Amino acid sequence: MAKGSRFGVLAALVLCLAFSGPAWAERTLVNGIDFGFPPFGFVDTQGNPAGFDVDAVNWIADKKGFSVRHQPMDWDGIIPALNTNRIDFIASGMSITEERKKVVNFTIPYYEVTQVLVVNANETATFDEMFTTGKRIGVQRGTNTHTLLIDMAKEPGMNFEIVAYDSTDLSMQDLPIGRIHGSAMDSSIAREVKRGRPFKTVGTFDVPPDGYGYAVRKTDTELLNMLNEGLKKLMADPYWVELKQRWELE
Amino acid sequence: MDFAKTMPVIWESLPFILGGITWTLSLVFGAMLLGLCLGIPLAVGQVYGTRTVRGFIGIYVWLFRGIPILVQLYLFYFGILAYLSQVPQLAGLGLDSAFLAALLVLGLTSAAYQSQIFRGSIQALPEGQLKAAQALGMTEAQAVRSIILPQALRLSIPGWSNEYSILLKDSALAFAIGVMEIMSRTRTVAALTHEPLPFALVAGVLFYLLTHMGIRALKTLERKVRIPGYARQGSMS
Repeated sequence: MAKGSRFGVLAALVLCLAFSGPAWAERTLVNGIDFGFPPFGFVDTQGNPAGFDVDAVNWIADKKGFSVRHQPMDWDGIIPALNTNRIDFIASGMSITEERKKVVNFTIPYYEVTQVLVVNANETATFDEMFTTGKRIGVQRGTNTHTLLIDMAKEPGMNFEIVAYDSTDLSMQDLPIGRIHGSAMDSSIAREVKRGRPFKTVGTFDVPPDGYGYAVRKTDTELLNMLNEGLKKLMADPYWVELKQRWELE
Repeated sequence: MDFAKTMPVIWESLPFILGGITWTLSLVFGAMLLGLCLGIPLAVGQVYGTRTVRGFIGIYVWLFRGIPILVQLYLFYFGILAYLSQVPQLAGLGLDSAFLAALLVLGLTSAAYQSQIFRGSIQALPEGQLKAAQALGMTEAQAVRSIILPQALRLSIPGWSNEYSILLKDSALAFAIGVMEIMSRTRTVAALTHEPLPFALVAGVLFYLLTHMGIRALKTLERKVRIPGYARQGSMS
């Protein structure tokens, strides 16, 4: 009898070991997405998370056998939310930058964007003239593009004023009425905001393109490896092309 | 504002946006209630308490009235509550919820403001009432509970409806930590169209309607519970 129960305990232990994979595999992982960054991450009119990154992560989750919940958040608080364990990773069109690498780890890049300047369709100044003739340039506060403009403004011969907004969309309200003369942003957003409106891209900033990657906590190396494997698998799959077509990327 | 383009999106997303009302009202009523439960003792303490008690309450009121709601939201959500949720003994209490953080911030701030409303009402009552009650053999605590507070609370209703409308509008700041109330939802849908203004208007109309209805309800309450011939000057309009 005693022997039997000992065997039971042993069997239970073996079973436990057999089914205990990495810690993340046992629970639902939470992916923090920007609530307003179409087509990468956003919330549709019914309130459901949607977008290129949401579909991509769902595919990876399916192949890697974990479940995932997409949590829409305000962008400003998304890295603090990751580092205080509110979410487990961020897959939402996030640029891999040196600044961010100090506080989070990134997967391999899966998409490249350039920085462009959008102006009114009737603007006559060239890209270079936009930055040397005292014009006002709008940009979303705290973005990569913002940092880029700040650095540019320090260069000799430059003469422009940076106007920071809470979102690129808000800067696009001020552009047609002349409060600003141009708005700097990611090429992916530029294509969206120009759609059906009298704006044009006047030029691309001369900096290496940004890569988008998924961000995880510094401590979660296992999760990082798993996401990297998943991304590589996805990018080699025919579904990757289909996904890019669905969200009109490239 | 491009209404022709956004109208269909507004219409399609209306159920989602209206769903935010539940969250907004839960925040406002929850915070009102928390503010009431804390505000009354704070007010009583400030009027009748010892010097030390008054000092501590003064610091509380000064702190919560002095720090902007947005700053408090960040401090509570990413600071205090994030820290507490890491304590194993407290795990599972839902301390990581953004709603709880917003509720605490709005409730504790409202308690600071409500305590000042109640304090004003208590001090508006003739001092003789307390002395008369004590002359009848009541203790000070009994007198405050059954003579002073019932009148003071009635006098507080106009101030209270002010507090309601302020809380309602402050609750919109909860978008910053991701509570899916009216403001978050309209901002979310606005991002789909890249046209923020029509959605700001929708949010504005919703907040206006909620403010208007709440103030009407409190006016009715004020009329129902008033003591005939005894009201603060100008409180009824």
